[in-house]
Amino acid sequence: MQNPFTRGRSAALAFALGAALVAAPAIGATDVTDIGSLDQTALASLPSFQAASRQLNDYGVSLQRQYTARAAHASQATQQRLAAEFQGKMADKQRSLFGPLFAKAEVAIASVASSKNLSVVIDKRIVVFGGQDITGNVRDLLNSVSDPVPPVSTPPPSKVGFVDQQALDQAPKIKAAADDFLKFKAAQDKIAGDKLKAAKTDADRDAIVKDYRKTLDDHQNQVLKPVADAKSKAISDAAKARGLVLVVDKGNIVFGGTDITKDVADKLK
Amino acid sequence: MTASACGGTLRRLAAAAALAGVAGCAHPPAQTGSTGTNAGVIGYVHMDELVQKHPLYDQLARYDRSIQAFDLSTTTPQVASRDPQVLAREKELEKELNDAANRTKALLDQKQREYQDQEAAAIAAAMRGAGAGGPSAAQIAGNLNATAQQQEAGVATQAQHDLDAYRKTLAKQQNAQIAAAQKALAERADRTYRARADELQSKESALSLRLASDDAAQRLALRTRLSSLALDDTARDDVQKQLAALDRKEADAVAAQRNRDQQSLAALQSQLHDEVQHELNAQVAAIQKRSLGSLAQRQQTLSKQVATVGGPVVQTTTAGGKMQQQINPNLPPALRARIEQLHSDYQKRFQDDAKTTIADFQKTRADLSRRYQELHGVNLAADQDAQAQIASLHKKRDDLYDQIVAQIDREVRLIAQQRGISIVVNNVAAPAGGVDLTPDALKDIESLHE
Repeated sequence: MQNPFTRGRSAALAFALGAALVAAPAIGATDVTDIGSLDQTALASLPSFQAASRQLNDYGVSLQRQYTARAAHASQATQQRLAAEFQGKMADKQRSLFGPLFAKAEVAIASVASSKNLSVVIDKRIVVFGGQDITGNVRDLLNSVSDPVPPVSTPPPSKVGFVDQQALDQAPKIKAAADDFLKFKAAQDKIAGDKLKAAKTDADRDAIVKDYRKTLDDHQNQVLKPVADAKSKAISDAAKARGLVLVVDKGNIVFGGTDITKDVADKLK
Repeated sequence: MTASACGGTLRRLAAAAALAGVAGCAHPPAQTGSTGTNAGVIGYVHMDELVQKHPLYDQLARYDRSIQAFDLSTTTPQVASRDPQVLAREKELEKELNDAANRTKALLDQKQREYQDQEAAAIAAAMRGAGAGGPSAAQIAGNLNATAQQQEAGVATQAQHDLDAYRKTLAKQQNAQIAAAQKALAERADRTYRARADELQSKESALSLRLASDDAAQRLALRTRLSSLALDDTARDDVQKQLAALDRKEADAVAAQRNRDQQSLAALQSQLHDEVQHELNAQVAAIQKRSLGSLAQRQQTLSKQVATVGGPVVQTTTAGGKMQQQINPNLPPALRARIEQLHSDYQKRFQDDAKTTIADFQKTRADLSRRYQELHGVNLAADQDAQAQIASLHKKRDDLYDQIVAQIDREVRLIAQQRGISIVVNNVAAPAGGVDLTPDALKDIESLHE
């Protein structure tokens, strides 16, 4: 038989266990201390990137001049050939200038992420609050004399997922809806443009644009919203199935994360 | 109570507590106002919804509509339409020019009459002094006619000269207007082309970056393998080939995109060229029509100015294409010389005086021409003003948006801190397991209206 003291301890233990479980699920299920953020614009303003950008720009201007001179009296076929040739040169130059910089930046990001045990690094633009900002660390690493060393381990699985929305938008139903909307919008642009030409006052113009936007919104709700909702549901379902706590667009992922694009695409079929 | 029963109760309590905890985890407090601990939980907000509820959203929407109005106007270019205020000012200038011409004509008429009267009186006095029996009224009238006709011929010559000069000025103005129109249209087309080219180039860069980012993990893994000293040559070659293949794949994708962009740009260039040519033709036709109208009107005005006041032209002959006036040869030589002297003096004085009047008119006309040119400069400047206005609207809009978002960020940060949420993001692709802070933030944002 247990004495009251023992029962009291058991009760306290149960309460403590309960309280711990109330608090712990969030921590246990969603360890967000492994989410980092990076201000990519800050990296783009590094002297090495700026210098490469300037060089590429100068090269582009020079190529454009050469192309204009050679294509001025050339046939259309020759012009196309020349265009392809110059585009290739431009791509080569871009690759030669930015390739090493991107590679170095990737290594630096991976290295910092690894040293801080981050499973994912997202673009700082979408972070409202919190997260580990690694911009300074990456910048310091890129500004250092020696090249950053790649980490030995790959990033751990992340609770943050991402989808390639551009790829998902190519799903037949979504693409058809988007094409329909774009066609409708182009026609509305022309109608609104013509009306604006005849408008006499700012109030007239404002009313025309309000009407134009309402027309577009209505059509968007009718044509695009159903497919957007379906896509959103598919993403949510896929995320839940993988136990993810957050899904962002691929464009906002800098490093790591869990790609669920294929899962979502399968659900949209 | 038995121990086992008690234990069972405790186990149930513990299980209930555990279930509550699990429930808390499975459904992170999406319900608003929760103050439970969420440490380690990810929160998210729908920024667009919050921005739309901000007190300054109406102003932001107004900016958006103004920008959209500009954008929509530029997608359907206005063909040769001109600012009505400029047209009104042009008409005012034309009226001022006509008024100046009329004033000049009236002044010349008045001067002509004064000099005719003075000359007639002087000749009559000379003839009376010479005892020539005095000229008959017909002779005096005839002499006056002759003087008047010569003076009018002088004015006609001056008027013709004036018209020629005006025609030249008009031609110069027309050429300047056409050149300005051509420049403005070409610049507009160039701006459109450059904007599109920049946009495409930016997208290409973004694509390049995205591709590099897509392959980052793979590339990193390969580089990691390469850095391993234990790798044999075959394996190393293989990894290097894979790296090269990655580079090629990205380069090919970017090059393919660039090819498509170049084709798109070429089509845009052709379209812009056609539009510019079409608009230029319309503007040139409109300018030429205006110039011809102005010239015809001016010619009509001058024709009225130099219309003869009536009466036959006497003693006026032409020799070698030049007009000559002769005094009646039957008069005594001394009197003829005196009359000739008087005639010559008055004619010279009139012409000098008329020259001053015409010079004043020309000065006025030059001033009006200059203002006309400036007016067209204003028209051109108006286009530049419109561009500056668009840029200014964009800046104001962006500044306001940044202010709104900054305020929302502050509100969201407070909510997150109160609820113990570690990280909050916006623009989620779809809700998953995070905490939606949008409802709480909406309440705070709406309270700003109060």
